[in-house]
Amino acid sequence: MTIKTTFNKSLLAASIPLLLSTGSVFAKSGSHDMHKLYEENCASCHGSDHGGYLAPALNSETLKGRSPTALRSLIMTGSFETLMPPFFARLSDSEIRSMVKHLQSTPKLANPAWNIKEMKKSLKIYVKDESKLATAPTYKIDSMDDVIGVAARGKYGRGQGSEAVFINSKTHKIIGKVPTNTAAHIIEFNPANPRWAYVKTDAAEVYKVDLYTMQAVRSIKTGLNGPAIGISRDGKYLMVGSFVPHNAVILDAETLEPLKQFELEGIDPDGKMVSSDSGMIIGTPYADIFAIALENAGQVWVVDLKEGFPVTKIKNVGRHLHDAFLSHKGKKLMVASYDDSIVTAIDLETRKIIKKLPAGCVPHVGGGSVVKVDGRTLGFGTNFGTCDDNTVVSVWDLDTMEVVKQVPVSGGTESPAAHANAPYVAVDIITKDRRARTIQLIDKKSLEVVKTLDVGGHAYFPEYSADGKYLYVSAGYAGDEVVVYDAKTLKKTANIPMESPAGIFSRGRVKYMTRGLSPDEME
Amino acid sequence: MKLFAYTVSLLLISFSSNSFSASAFAGRAKAAQVCSQCHGIKNPSAEAPFPPLAGRDELYLEKALRQYRNKTRKSDIMNNIAAGLSNRDINNIAEYYTRLKP
Repeated sequence: MTIKTTFNKSLLAASIPLLLSTGSVFAKSGSHDMHKLYEENCASCHGSDHGGYLAPALNSETLKGRSPTALRSLIMTGSFETLMPPFFARLSDSEIRSMVKHLQSTPKLANPAWNIKEMKKSLKIYVKDESKLATAPTYKIDSMDDVIGVAARGKYGRGQGSEAVFINSKTHKIIGKVPTNTAAHIIEFNPANPRWAYVKTDAAEVYKVDLYTMQAVRSIKTGLNGPAIGISRDGKYLMVGSFVPHNAVILDAETLEPLKQFELEGIDPDGKMVSSDSGMIIGTPYADIFAIALENAGQVWVVDLKEGFPVTKIKNVGRHLHDAFLSHKGKKLMVASYDDSIVTAIDLETRKIIKKLPAGCVPHVGGGSVVKVDGRTLGFGTNFGTCDDNTVVSVWDLDTMEVVKQVPVSGGTESPAAHANAPYVAVDIITKDRRARTIQLIDKKSLEVVKTLDVGGHAYFPEYSADGKYLYVSAGYAGDEVVVYDAKTLKKTANIPMESPAGIFSRGRVKYMTRGLSPDEME
Repeated sequence: MKLFAYTVSLLLISFSSNSFSASAFAGRAKAAQVCSQCHGIKNPSAEAPFPPLAGRDELYLEKALRQYRNKTRKSDIMNNIAAGLSNRDINNIAEYYTRLKP
């Protein structure tokens, strides 16, 4: 009940200026407290600027005309089939009532400043001398590629349940948990040194994690939110991008010191100059570069990792870009474009668009999946929209850049998984009804759905173990476990309990698969 | 072996025809829809103020849910949630949680 105590104290504090001055001071001070309460309970999902993030925007415009009673009960009970938890007994009734008033009277806030100065101030060092850390894993494991990291959100997106959970994908046992303050969102592995991983949270904090001793050694807050993070092939640089504010930054991967900040703006495909959210950021085995998608500007920037970090801008990639994956030894980049339902292939060598390929409705390619089938390099693209009930997974031949098939699936999808040694491509059905409990498996050869697995919870983010023998899936939201299947027989092999698991990231991916590297590495 | 299978199937028929027999499987499905948001499908969130239900006494769980449903036990939130449960739902949910290891 700490929140309640704080609130009472702050109410007391608020009443002091009331005695000294006029009522308007009280109103200001009151809204300041409400903003604090908002920051501590709502902002990591709904956005510090009230502009929305994983969850809808909550401001005077978006909530206009909504019944305060209905909003109050929604906050109390949470919203089923979403990540919205119940705040009953966590916030007092008067806090919930005041919050509804606060939300319905607060406009979307301007982009706050969060520059290199603020970032530097936020740098925290948990382990002073990294050279004194154990030089090998402090647990039994055959290869660090067997490590799978799961972003456990925790029901409230913060606090005790929010952690990066690391699992040995051969034994399915947890080998370490690293608390992350707010919900872990993305886990990147250092391709050059297997001991380091980087975890980005919903509040845009980046943790440098020592996988040998399973602890965070440093952290830095790079913005207010936004999922983008990539690592260079030499493991020396990280690039991290934000939705709020509209910038990206290159960090020294060893110290997390910020090196250069980029303001994200440009002319969109319709000729308008816009300030832009950061979409995906990706390092590639092909060259010492980062590629970053500017969501609203529809551009992809290629940043050379040399003196001054010069930028090549590729324009007119699409309308509202989001995520991407690599193919052909990291030379080809496939970028999803939400609003025109295409995936644009970019050649990172010539830094030009190869072709715009038709996708399904609102392509969201997740970690991407590329796999060789009968001599062809096939890319599988998930689509999370549900236009006209026509839900498909797109299959492209990435050698010729042609559509092979739009495979019908039972709902919207947001994340595929494929592996050279596994017969099926797994996709997560996210349509918000009973279908959300399931994932579907597409046969690599017949390109048809051959099996639907009832995983439970909100099943999403399938991922194969490095050897391709096991399929990991998060039974997310209230499912509270990661479920492991045998990749061939599809029999349930293990359940690993944790609070609201989401993204699953295999370290094997840096070697075998698509995000960061491509399947060519298998050869 | 045949006789054994026959007996088992007879048992199953008599078991499922008994309208009062609770099903932990049905209880799990109902709990996932109705209870898990707060109490968790196994445990509540480490951050949540809600009581854990795993391994609680079956009769106690049933009684509590019935009281919440007929409002003899008052709770802003539980009265609303329990109002939508049938007797069978209550038996199944209690059966499910009581069988979980705390």
